Amino acid sequence: MTDGGGDLLRKALTKAIDELDGSARLIVVEVAADGMTTFTLHRDDAGTPRGHHGPVTPWNIAGEQEWEGTADDASGKEAIVRASGIRSHASVILICSFPDGLQASRAMEWLREARPDAPHFTKAHVPVPALLREILADEPLKRSYDLVVLKRDAVSGRLELATQPLFAIGARRGQPVRVRVRCEPGDDRGTAFAVASWQNIQPSLLSVQSAVLSPGRHEFWATLERPGVVRFSGLPALVPDDRRWEDLVASVPATLDPQIGPAHLICAVEVSGSSDLVDERLRRVRQVVTTCAGALPDRLHVSLLAYGTHGFGRGEREEPVEVRVWHVSPKTALDSLSGLELRGARPEGYPYAVQIEDALHEVHGRLGAGTGDRVVLLTVGGRPPHPPRAEARILPCPHRHDWEDLLHRLRRRADLTLGAICDEPEERATPVWRTLGEGARAHLEVVDIRRLCSDLGLVASAAQRIPFPLYDP
Amino acid sequence: MSDEGSGRDHTDIAMWGAPGSGKTTLLAALSIALSRRPQQDWRIVGGDAPSTDFLIQNTLALSGVGEFPEATKDRNRYRWTLLGPPAGKNGRRRGKPAQVTATRININLMDPPGGSFGDSHHLSTADKSELISSLEKSKGIIFLFDPIREFEKGDAFNYLFAPLSQLASQMLASSDKYPDGKLPHHLAICITKFDELRVLQTASELTLLTTDPDDVHQFPRVPQDDAAQLLQELCSISATGNADIMLNTLTHFFHEDRIKYYVTSSIGFYLDPMRKVFDMADPVNLVPHAPLSSPSAAEPMPSRIRGQVHPINVVEPVLWLGQQVLNEHANGSPAG
Ligand SMILES: Nc1nc2c(ncn2[C@@H]2O[C@H](COP(=O)(O)OP(=O)(O)OP(=O)(O)O)[C@@H](O)[C@H]2O)c(=O)[nH]1
Ligand SMILES: [Mg+2]
Repeated sequence: MTDGGGDLLRKALTKAIDELDGSARLIVVEVAADGMTTFTLHRDDAGTPRGHHGPVTPWNIAGEQEWEGTADDASGKEAIVRASGIRSHASVILICSFPDGLQASRAMEWLREARPDAPHFTKAHVPVPALLREILADEPLKRSYDLVVLKRDAVSGRLELATQPLFAIGARRGQPVRVRVRCEPGDDRGTAFAVASWQNIQPSLLSVQSAVLSPGRHEFWATLERPGVVRFSGLPALVPDDRRWEDLVASVPATLDPQIGPAHLICAVEVSGSSDLVDERLRRVRQVVTTCAGALPDRLHVSLLAYGTHGFGRGEREEPVEVRVWHVSPKTALDSLSGLELRGARPEGYPYAVQIEDALHEVHGRLGAGTGDRVVLLTVGGRPPHPPRAEARILPCPHRHDWEDLLHRLRRRADLTLGAICDEPEERATPVWRTLGEGARAHLEVVDIRRLCSDLGLVASAAQRIPFPLYDP
Repeated sequence: MSDEGSGRDHTDIAMWGAPGSGKTTLLAALSIALSRRPQQDWRIVGGDAPSTDFLIQNTLALSGVGEFPEATKDRNRYRWTLLGPPAGKNGRRRGKPAQVTATRININLMDPPGGSFGDSHHLSTADKSELISSLEKSKGIIFLFDPIREFEKGDAFNYLFAPLSQLASQMLASSDKYPDGKLPHHLAICITKFDELRVLQTASELTLLTTDPDDVHQFPRVPQDDAAQLLQELCSISATGNADIMLNTLTHFFHEDRIKYYVTSSIGFYLDPMRKVFDMADPVNLVPHAPLSSPSAAEPMPSRIRGQVHPINVVEPVLWLGQQVLNEHANGSPAG
């Protein structure tokens, strides 16, 4: 093979690289006009072919003068062969890209003599570095590439490291694939997108990049740039993550709170009273919905009920409980809440009780048999409900709704949790409000929203950080 | 009055009750109750300008706005006359329709401001003399017993019964006008505020409630004969709990057959405007009403009347007393 077309050279290089295995090396020596360059190629732990080259060895290392005249060929040859590094077990390919040069031709001869087994090619001006880069990049994958994800056991909530396939063996660069995952809040580095290659059962890490993402479902593209390099597009601000793999893996909690599945948050808020008080109640509802929406992205539905006082007095109109929205996205619910905020408080009205029993009636009627999602009924107000019959000083509900019976029925549902934000502090709350806040209760003025939501099972407790994306079937 | 000369001081019926026991409201309701009577046989008119004003204003406030009269601030004396169907001498008609004149019953209300009796159950000297003169001048007394005050303060019964008994015994001892050793007055003892839940419930627990089959609204009532039992029960709830003794004492000074008990309500029970039938589940006709001026949370909130006013046993005691007085006039027997 004293001569050969570019195709032959490419084929030979491709084949030799393809055959690289384990710790084997391929040495490619380019003999050019001004000197000689040695390229060393190997596969790394992940099976990715890698190449690097040393400095150009200028021809004068063999001694300029001697080359011109009756040179001492032996010492010149020795210098060149040693510098080329071909005296090893590695496979070798020799390329002469400047056949017209005297020094180049001479060097080529010496090298061929040193490794007569090595295929050699002569092709003027062939850009060897670019050619190698191209061949490396074009190589089909020898191992599959996967994204590291966490799988959550539906029953126990236990988290397990798993992978989601990105590119199969044989895949070539260029073709993007669509990926869908779910993210939970991570630590301050965010969620780590780690790509691993698999050989048998041994994974090895190709790359880790992190981004702080809003919790929830994310869809993006993964593109194989070349073996060993996967580029993600559609994820904001990915930065290389230099955390040790062991540390990352160690930071995966054992379980992801099994209760944090899809949930239906029903907020019933008292809108009668002083505007300061009502504003505060609505603000709390907003905080709760926002917090839970952040923690349960795509998995939260919200309903919003506004209740107030019955109209008992002369000339007072009975305003029924208003179901503002039912089972809608948090965003729609927040829009509806804005409407309430704009409208402001309804008058103080009947001082001793409010339409809670009517609100319970609505909720009970609308919930029906249940959808399997968890339901949280959060009541935000101060006054107790009306009894179904005249009792002490509180007038009965005009519709004779029985809050006790309704609450009893709601509490019998396995899927329902009761929460309350009460105007009154704990010690002054009436028994009704204790029941309404059975699952979690807070005082309007000093609500720790995160804690309340976590007590209601709507957000993970603060310590729970999930470093990897979750598998999202 | 037919006899103009002595008419100004002439009192047929006096009304007594602790502050807030419902005297003023009862009078305002009386006018409503009279106008509600299908027979339209009796009317109430003021004896002077302030009394007429009082009637007009309080009746309107009660039935129109649903507001109770304000607590009486000054020592008021109101004079009203009940005008009823003409009655002949001894109740027999003479067949001379042209000559008929309306039957008149004078009511004199001593309406002292709340608390003027002090808190020691002892009447001031001024009040004593007022009460004595009213006892001397009147032939019938409406006595208001406020069960709510009894529930809350536990002194409603003692509040006036004790001084009344004291005075009665003084009068009996110092005068020989009462040869049979008893005061000749007729006494209508009215338990007020029957519409209040606690009163209604007490009556219900004692199974004293009945309904008048002719009453389209089916409002509950406590029959005349059972009223005394309810009074005793209501008094026994209080700390002092000596009501039966007091009631016995009363019969020492008054003829037992001249005492009648009434369970009354000036405003009556709530009537749902759609259902139009009394509902035991929702009987209360009051609704708390915060005055705009004082938003203080410490004070119990004043009430307004929730629905229509349907007075219960308001006309009955007044007419009963009036009838007794008329009978005495007719019989010519001196009342005192
Ligand atoms: N539930 C109920 N409450 C009544 C009734 N009558 C009076 N009240 C209540 O009792 C309060 C006092 O009533 P008044 O009629 O002013 O009593 P009073 O005896 O004239 O009081 P003073 O003028 O202060 O001596 C009213 O403001 C009402 O709250 C009634 O028939 N039912
Ligand atoms: Mg008064």
